[in-house]
Parts: sequence; structure tokens; C-alpha cells
Amino acid sequence: MLRFVLARLVQSLAALAILTVVVFVLARATGDPLQLILPMSASEEDYANARQYLGLDRSYVEQYLSFVGKALTGDFGNSLRARRPVIELIRDRLPNSLKLAAFAMTVSLLMAFPLGVLAAVRKGTAIDRAAQVIAVLGQSLPTFWVAIVLIEVVAGRLQWLPAAGSERLASYVLPGFTLGWFVVAGMMRLLRSGMLEVLDSEYVKLARVKGVAEHRVVWLHALKNALIPVVTFAGIYFSILVTTAIVVETVFAWPGLGRLAYEAITSRDFPVIQAVVLTTAAIVALVNLSVDCLYAFIDPRIRYAG
Amino acid sequence: MKTTLALVAALLSLTLVTGPAGAQGKPELTVALSSFSTEVLDPVLGGHIVKYYLSLMFDYLVGVTPDGQPSKDGGLATRWEPSQDHRRWTFHLRRGVKFHTGEEVTAEDVKFSLQRAIGKRSTTGYAGPLRTLIQDIETPAPDRVVIVTKEPTLIIPTYLSRSLSTEGMILPKKYLEANGDDVFARKPVGSGPYRFVEQVTGSHIKLTAVDSHWRIGAPKYKTVTFKLVPEETTRVALLRRGEVDIADVSRDRVAELEREGFPIHMRREEAVLTMWWILPRDNQPTKDKRVREALNLAVDRSELAQSIFAGKAEPAFVPMGLSWSYRDLGFKVTPEMHYPYDPARAKALLAEAGYGGGFSMDVYAYQLPGLPEGRAFAEAMAGYWQKIGVKIKLIPVDYPAFRKNWFDRATPGAVGYYNIANRDWIGTYALIEKMAYSKSKASDVVNDPEIDGMLEQVPRQTDKEKIGVLMRNVYTRLRSEHYGVPVVYLHSPYAASKKLGKWTIGTVMYDFFIDELASSK
Repeated sequence: MLRFVLARLVQSLAALAILTVVVFVLARATGDPLQLILPMSASEEDYANARQYLGLDRSYVEQYLSFVGKALTGDFGNSLRARRPVIELIRDRLPNSLKLAAFAMTVSLLMAFPLGVLAAVRKGTAIDRAAQVIAVLGQSLPTFWVAIVLIEVVAGRLQWLPAAGSERLASYVLPGFTLGWFVVAGMMRLLRSGMLEVLDSEYVKLARVKGVAEHRVVWLHALKNALIPVVTFAGIYFSILVTTAIVVETVFAWPGLGRLAYEAITSRDFPVIQAVVLTTAAIVALVNLSVDCLYAFIDPRIRYAG
Repeated sequence: MKTTLALVAALLSLTLVTGPAGAQGKPELTVALSSFSTEVLDPVLGGHIVKYYLSLMFDYLVGVTPDGQPSKDGGLATRWEPSQDHRRWTFHLRRGVKFHTGEEVTAEDVKFSLQRAIGKRSTTGYAGPLRTLIQDIETPAPDRVVIVTKEPTLIIPTYLSRSLSTEGMILPKKYLEANGDDVFARKPVGSGPYRFVEQVTGSHIKLTAVDSHWRIGAPKYKTVTFKLVPEETTRVALLRRGEVDIADVSRDRVAELEREGFPIHMRREEAVLTMWWILPRDNQPTKDKRVREALNLAVDRSELAQSIFAGKAEPAFVPMGLSWSYRDLGFKVTPEMHYPYDPARAKALLAEAGYGGGFSMDVYAYQLPGLPEGRAFAEAMAGYWQKIGVKIKLIPVDYPAFRKNWFDRATPGAVGYYNIANRDWIGTYALIEKMAYSKSKASDVVNDPEIDGMLEQVPRQTDKEKIGVLMRNVYTRLRSEHYGVPVVYLHSPYAASKKLGKWTIGTVMYDFFIDELASSK
């Protein structure tokens, strides 16, 4: 088991190392950040001064080595745009993204569980079809459209919930629902198919023959065994929610990691782009590693194959 | 099912406790903006910064009225005068003004601030020209500062005023020297009517009022919060819920908000939308003045103003002509200056110039802050020019990519545009000196020795009448030679809550003049 974990850890670290090169090159491919920082009236001398002050006059190799060397100690340098240590910006924003992702995941679990189980138990009925429609809509409606409609109708017209901000619990509802709905679809389908398989198994049939009440068969015996793939899916999706909520965070003015990434990309803020990409990659790698380990723990065949 | 019902009940209970907050009588003012620009609170090292919140935290050396005219009532200097030769400008400082640390503002702070503003690390808009111009800064008394210039000049007070960039903001020398730039950027200290409370990057900036301030008395609002809300639908929803008092909105949203009864404060002619061709003109069709005129005549500016800019724009007629300077300079706009929409004449001019069969021209298409219509506008312009036979290649880019091409002169003859902030005559000179003076090299789009000669005389000239003549002649030549395509003057709308009260938004770009709203004087 330990060997398996170590092998996966080495793979994750290698992926992160390759990513440092990729993100370093791609960030610079977007253009010169000084074009955005300096005013239109800036002279060539102003450009040279700013380049030197911000350390952009060094060779790419020197900049890369400095970036990697410092990143290993948790120092991602200073933001070119905000003129603050990047680590501070990430420390400010990451908790907001985690909180929103946790709320969205809770919403999606609360929706997906009853829908998935009911769709399986009432297969082929109106409930099943309604659940399928909800799933299809959640995956096919563009997130930005859902967000804008919710803001316009629920916040602006009906005035039921806040349109933006992260200060109050109520502020979580609209962005959380927008993010969560997308996840509901996949989770519900996975649960439905898992439940259908389990409900058809011998031990469930035996439980029914022994006279166990139907709600106990479904919610205790069957659901427990159908949960394993859903938990894995939820784990992976949680990391995706934390790291890719750019649209939702922008529309709802949510000060999270996604918006930080968006702002950094549009202002060519190399240190922030690099740090955000590496942080999100580390989160995804960590979650994947945990999932791999969990699988290996549950199913010994994976350990031996690995 | 019980779980679902419980969830619905919980959500409904949340809505009950989060009903819209009323704007009336509340002690705070909240402003929602689509962009904070760089979000750096240091007026000098912040890159391209906006003044909305900075002008509440800091005092300028030279104040201005809301319409941008230098005022002895609005700045730290209560009066200023030049020496006979206009090379020494003496500023007399207001006494008893204190920074938020309790230290009094002195001439040393002014000297320190100006030196920092024109220093090598400064990213302010006019650091370069001021660095070239200023020879020395003297502090003969705690309430007196003398700025010595290398050349006789009239432009110093305006360059250090609230009407232009942030060079004139006065910072606390002792605090900065003791704490350094990084601490200052995180916890800025000024002497304005509001002091810094907190900044959450990407979210908001919060300020709180001082007890009393010489500019506005005891501030009416205890706190002022600037919220960063990039999406317009969200800003409008916040306005409808009464959660914000002021929000920037797009031109095409104005009619809807007016129908709902929200006051719209229109900053008229906030910017002039001008197009130009990347130099050099050698071997380009636009080297021929008739081609440049034809490209101007092909454009229906009134239609553009109505269709692309929702009627919140007026036709423009002088390349780089900033209309707020016309009155100062005595520049009279005559009907002949307006470009009629005349595609037939445009075609004839092209034929005369030997381009009857048309020619190819690249048009860059990009969005700009304050110009969400950027790409649609570029497409419309391409359509007009195609109608007279010019083969247009639209190139979607972001502005920095165009700017690089422009400055590198990588694509001669290609067209770009900018919504240039309107300003008074000195601000106009600063702009034209960058864009129409061949010695500015990279940013020049005119390259005309006659205009160069006139522009060289302006900063050295100390007779306002003579400056007026020179600048009028510059405008006249820019127009007669068709050095660019002036398109429209843009009005910028800002929506306010229904209970905000009287507010003059002023004419200074990136500044709301909240002073009037917050004033108890």
C-alpha cells in the first residue's frame, strides 16, 4: 500500500513540475503586462524603469529559476497588478472558493440524493423522467446564463436573495445553486444507475424476501452500496468546483480563486497566474491522490495492478 | 421529501432576513463599479489607477471645481503664482490640515510627494513630462513650496491638480519613510475627508469619515464603500435592491433604468472616440490627404451615435479634439467642420487619388474600459468603409496587442481607436503632445512638421492668448489634414438610487466628486 501511495505521489509531483514550465511559458505568451500597467503617455524610459523594478528585465531562464526556487518555499513573488505578495492574495481568496464550493456541493448532494434514488426506485415513471430533465438542464444550460437569469429574476425583480457579495449566508444561495446544479446532473445519474444495479442484486432480493420494509431496503441497504462511486465523483467535483468557478465568481462578484485567476489573466499578472494554476493543480492532484488511495484501500486489485 | 421541504423552508427564511436595504437615511454610501483598474491604493505606484476612492482619501495640491477648473477652495494650495519668467511657481499651503495619522501637512510632504510622483518608479500618467520639466522643488517655509522648472511654463498647476492624474496627491512623508511602500499600499494614509478602513482585493474598498474636514465639513456619510461588481446585471440588481447607491451602467441600459425611475447622471462628452492610422504613411494609401478625407466622409456618425451608442453620443469632427478645451482656447466650431455623411463624394475622392478600385485596410477590433461597444463599433466602421470600396480585414485583438503594433509600427496603415478622456486645454496639450508630436516617436500618429513646430512653442509660452492661437491652429490643421477619424463624443451614464439626492458628477474622468454628496457645508 505504501509503495502504491509513494508511486502516486511521485507521479503527482512530476506533473506539477512539468506544469511549472507550461504555465511559465503560457503566461508570458499572453503579452507584455506593462502595456496594461503603464499609462498611454509612458515613455520608453518609463517602460525600462518599470521592467527593471518588476524584475521583468531578467532572462526567461533566470525568471523561471527564480519562480521555481521561491515557489518551493511558498513565495510566489509579488502581484504585478496588485503590488502585494501573491501568497496573500491566494490566502484571501482560497477560503471564499472553498466555502462556496462546500455550499454548492451540499446543495447538489441534497438535490441529487432524493432525485437519484427516486428515479431508480420509480424507474420509467414521471418522477424518473422529471429527474432526467433536471439533470439534462443542469448540464446543458450555460452557467453564465443560469447565473444572470437568477440575478435578474430572483435578486433584481423578486428581491428575494442578494445578487452579490459573500458576507451573509443568504449570499451563498444563488451562486451555490448555480454551481451545484451542474454537479447535480452527473451525481444523480451516477446514483440512479448505481441504485438500479444494487436494487437488482441478490442480497436486496433476499432482504425483501425476509420482509424488510421497502424504505429500509432502499435507503439503508441499497443506497449504502450505491454510494461508493458517488463519493468518488463528489470528491473530484469538489476540487473542480473550487478551482473552476471563474464564471460564477465573476457574475456574482464573489472574491474567490476563480476571479483572481480571471483578473490575473486579463492583466497579464504572471506571478498570480503561475501561483493560481499551481495551487489549483496541487488541489486537484491532492484530491486525485486521495481518491486513488481510497480506491486502493477499498479494492485490493487496484493496488496490485498499480 | 421532508429534507426537501426543510431546505425550501430554510431558503425562504433566508430571504426574509435579507430583504433589500433602503438607501434612504442610511449613514453609508455604496458605489458599485465594473472595474477598480489595478486596485492599488498607492497613487504613484499603482499603474493605471482610478481616482474614485483615492480622491476621498487624499488631498490634491491644486483642487478643482467639479467641471475641472483649478480652484483655490478645493486643494491644499490656497493660492499660487508664477515668477515673472514663469520658471518658479510658488504654492501657499492651507494651514492646520492634518493627515489621518494626526501629523500636519507641510511643504516637506508636498516636496516628498512630488519627487515620488516624478521618480523613476512612478507609473502615473504624467510622470514623464513632469520629470522633464521640473528642475527643483524648494521649501522656503512650512507652508510654502516653490517648483522650479527648466523652461517657462503655465502648465504646472493643472498637472498637479485633481483634473488630471494623481501626481498632485499629497502623501505623508514621515509615515511612508517609516513604513515603506508596501505598508503604505496596504494601509494608505492621506489627509482627505475619508480614511482607509479595509480592502479586500477583488471585492471592496471601505472608507470611514473623519470627524470634520476642511473640504466638506462633517461628512454626511459615515462610511463609503466601493464594491467591485464586474457584471452589469448584478450591479443593476444591487441598485434595484437598494444595496448600492451609485453604479456605472452601459449606454444601452439607460432607457430601461429611466423607465423604472432611477436617476441617470450623464457625464456628457466624457470621452472622444477617435480612430487613427498606424505610422509610417509612406507607401500607404492614407498618405494621400484625399483618401483620409474619403474615409471620414464614408462614416454616418449620427447613425453610429444612435445605433451603436444608444443615442448617448454626439458626432465628433476634429481628430483628437477634446471639446472641454474648446472654450478655454477660444476654438469656435463651425458647421463646415462637421463631416457630412457623403459616400458618393468619398468614392469620388478615392478615384481622384487613384484608388477607384479600392484598397485593403486592416481594422483592429477590441473592447476598452468605458467602451463595451468597441467590437460592434469596429464592425460598423468596417461596413461603412466597405461601402466605398475599401477592402477591410477586421482583426479581433485585445487593446494591448493593438498598442504594441501601434508603438512598434508593425502594421503601417492599420486602424485602431481609443475613447480618449476629455479634458481642459492643458490636458489636451498633454494628449496631443503624445499623439501628434513626431518627437514622441512611438505614440505619434500624425508626423506633421507644422504641428510639431506649434506644439514645441506651447509649453514655453506664458501668454495665454498666444497659447490659444497656437492650439487653435493645431486643431485646425489636425482637422484640415484629416489626421485620423474623429467619430463621436461619448456620454457616460451612472445610475443612482432613487433616494440619493442632488449630485453633480463633474467632468473629471475616474472621479465622482462625491464631495458634494457627502458635504455638510
